[in-house]
Amino acid sequence: MSAVIEIEGLRKTFRSLRSGRRVAVDGFDLLVEAGQVHGFLGPNGSGKTTTLRALLGLVSADSGRMTVLGEPSPELLPRVAGQVGAIVESPQFFGNFTGYRTLRLLARAGGVPVSRVDEVLDLVGLHDRGDERVKGYSLGMKQRLAVASALLKDPRLLILDEPANGLDPAGIREMRDLMRSLAANGVTVLVSSHILGEIQLICDHVTIISRGRRVATGRVDEVLAGHDRHEFLVRVAEPERAVELLHAAELTAAVDGGALVVSGVSDPTAISRVLGEQGLWVGELTPLRPDLESVFLELTGAYEHPSVPRQVGDSSLPQGEAVIDLDRGVDA
Amino acid sequence: MNLVRAELERLSARRFVQLMLVLLVLAFAVTAATTLAGSHKPSVSELNSARAQAAEARRDLEATHQECLARQDGTLQSDTDRYFPSDCSDIDPIRQDRLPIAADFLPGVFSFAEQAEPLLYFLIAFLVLFGFLVGASYIGADLNSGGVVNLLLWRPRRLTVLATKLGTLLGTVLVLALLASLAYLGTFWVIGQTAGLPGRLDGDFWSSLGAVHGRGLVLVLLASALGFAIATLGRHTSAALGAFAAYAVVWELGARLVLEIVDARKSDLFMLSSHTGAWLNGGARFYDEQLCRGDNYGSYCEGFYTLPWLPALLVLLGLTGGLTAAAFAVFRRRDLI
Ligand SMILES: Nc1ncnc2c1ncn2[C@@H]1O[C@H](COP(=O)(O)OP(=O)(O)OP(=O)(O)O)[C@@H](O)[C@H]1O
Ligand SMILES: [Mg+2]
Repeated sequence: MSAVIEIEGLRKTFRSLRSGRRVAVDGFDLLVEAGQVHGFLGPNGSGKTTTLRALLGLVSADSGRMTVLGEPSPELLPRVAGQVGAIVESPQFFGNFTGYRTLRLLARAGGVPVSRVDEVLDLVGLHDRGDERVKGYSLGMKQRLAVASALLKDPRLLILDEPANGLDPAGIREMRDLMRSLAANGVTVLVSSHILGEIQLICDHVTIISRGRRVATGRVDEVLAGHDRHEFLVRVAEPERAVELLHAAELTAAVDGGALVVSGVSDPTAISRVLGEQGLWVGELTPLRPDLESVFLELTGAYEHPSVPRQVGDSSLPQGEAVIDLDRGVDA
Repeated sequence: MNLVRAELERLSARRFVQLMLVLLVLAFAVTAATTLAGSHKPSVSELNSARAQAAEARRDLEATHQECLARQDGTLQSDTDRYFPSDCSDIDPIRQDRLPIAADFLPGVFSFAEQAEPLLYFLIAFLVLFGFLVGASYIGADLNSGGVVNLLLWRPRRLTVLATKLGTLLGTVLVLALLASLAYLGTFWVIGQTAGLPGRLDGDFWSSLGAVHGRGLVLVLLASALGFAIATLGRHTSAALGAFAAYAVVWELGARLVLEIVDARKSDLFMLSSHTGAWLNGGARFYDEQLCRGDNYGSYCEGFYTLPWLPALLVLLGLTGGLTAAAFAVFRRRDLI
């Protein structure tokens, strides 16, 4: 598999007179390979947009090495720009132009046949609204137009920064279908989003960033598996007695509400055997698998003290905890 | 080429550009209409009497001059209380810029030869303003609305993108200025022919009008590039407007006052307005009493000094070129958010 995006040790510091130095990206690494639909997750202000801007040559990095489709960025980005469709943080369009005219201008500037404009308008569901002025568009319609502009080039690599921003449920679903069909056609997609359920549905790989550093990367299922605490939810008639029995069998268990949570078990049949042998019949045995949301919150430390309002930037740095990285093995 | 076409379309779609064009047409229509309404074709008798009056006025000038000379020689003594200058050559008709002509004695008759130049100055002033504002707002609005970022995602060559914008701006402004001045002068020429007096439209007239026109166009282009460069440097249309207002108040008014207080010499040379005027008029003459102070008492000192057009042009070119180069250098590295 060839790397479509490679970022190594990217650092970007913003300097301003009022707030001084702010490290937005702090030694971040990212690897996206051909054919992946790669989710890019992180709390607000963790550096996702800054990373994408640096990758696309819109801000200049302090240090780090980046390549896009094999070309070093931003130096040789012009060589591959025709194959990279991107939206970075809801793009703004000129309000006086119609959607059609906006895209036609971009198509012309980039040397794309104008016939492509109708195709992409159709693709994002703006076919009938293409000849209305952009300033009359709703938030979601503007977002669709932005996605259309990224698709215009018929890209090999699509970079989408929060494409679901402002989309209605049907729109989110259409976006999902769109990305799937693009992926099926061999387009590599890097998508950032805060809708974790959506990422879990669309993406095969994820990278999670927190305070400018990578805290996890790899296949979605493996990242999830890496955070699987092997817990099971068990419903039985006498929970207290069941806990004693399980403790006696050297299993960790606790009563939670009306049910039991048993942890550290690799084989759930052990639970039903221990309880069944003592005449306690298991009514429900559900594996408690982590979802992307719980892994995200755990990794970014974004939900440690639910009663205290969390401030932007409070998330965790990667700690001694291993970064799960399929391609490089496990590094500390 | 495609980029230029796209930029042309963006430029022409700007509301502000359209508004300025409407203003131009309006100002133009109002001037033409009032001129037309206030002018009529002189009848033969009107013409004859005007010619006679002009000839009379010229004779008067000559007579006064002669009288002045005679008085100086002492050949003439009379006790009129008429004023005569100490140096009679000041009123020598040969040395006057212009002598009375028939058109001066035709009230309510528009003379193209007489009025073309002031009209052209007005047009140039408008076009300079137009160029500066359009240049500033074109890039300023695009930087702010994310239009530049969108374009850079398609063409990640910053210098090419900015240069195309500047080139498109200058080309458009030049074509517009040419068309506007053609239409403008053409209309007044027709008014002169049909409802007024064409006047003496000889080679001298056309070449001097052409020179003003050419210089004016250069000024319009410089103003456009200047507005563009300052707005690029300041990331905002208002940066250019602010810089202009600040310059006018702080330097042209404030510093001029300070320079006067500290008795600086030739303070007009520090003012851009002097250079603009010198370039447009092919040179300018300024008065500075400081020049006559101190040195060689008794010797004759006029207190005038001139600013030729070439150094004036070089200053204007240097300023605009420097700011434009700075704008490109800054834009090449800047973080575009
Ligand atoms: N132009 C800028 N000037 C100063 N600081 C900036 C600038 N742009 C971003 N930052 C800072 O860099 C950090 C990362 O911002 P970035 O926009 O990359 O976050 P993000 O991960 O995209 O967040 P979100 O999920 O809210 O979009 C933030 O702390 C932000 O304040
Ligand atoms: Mg962002």
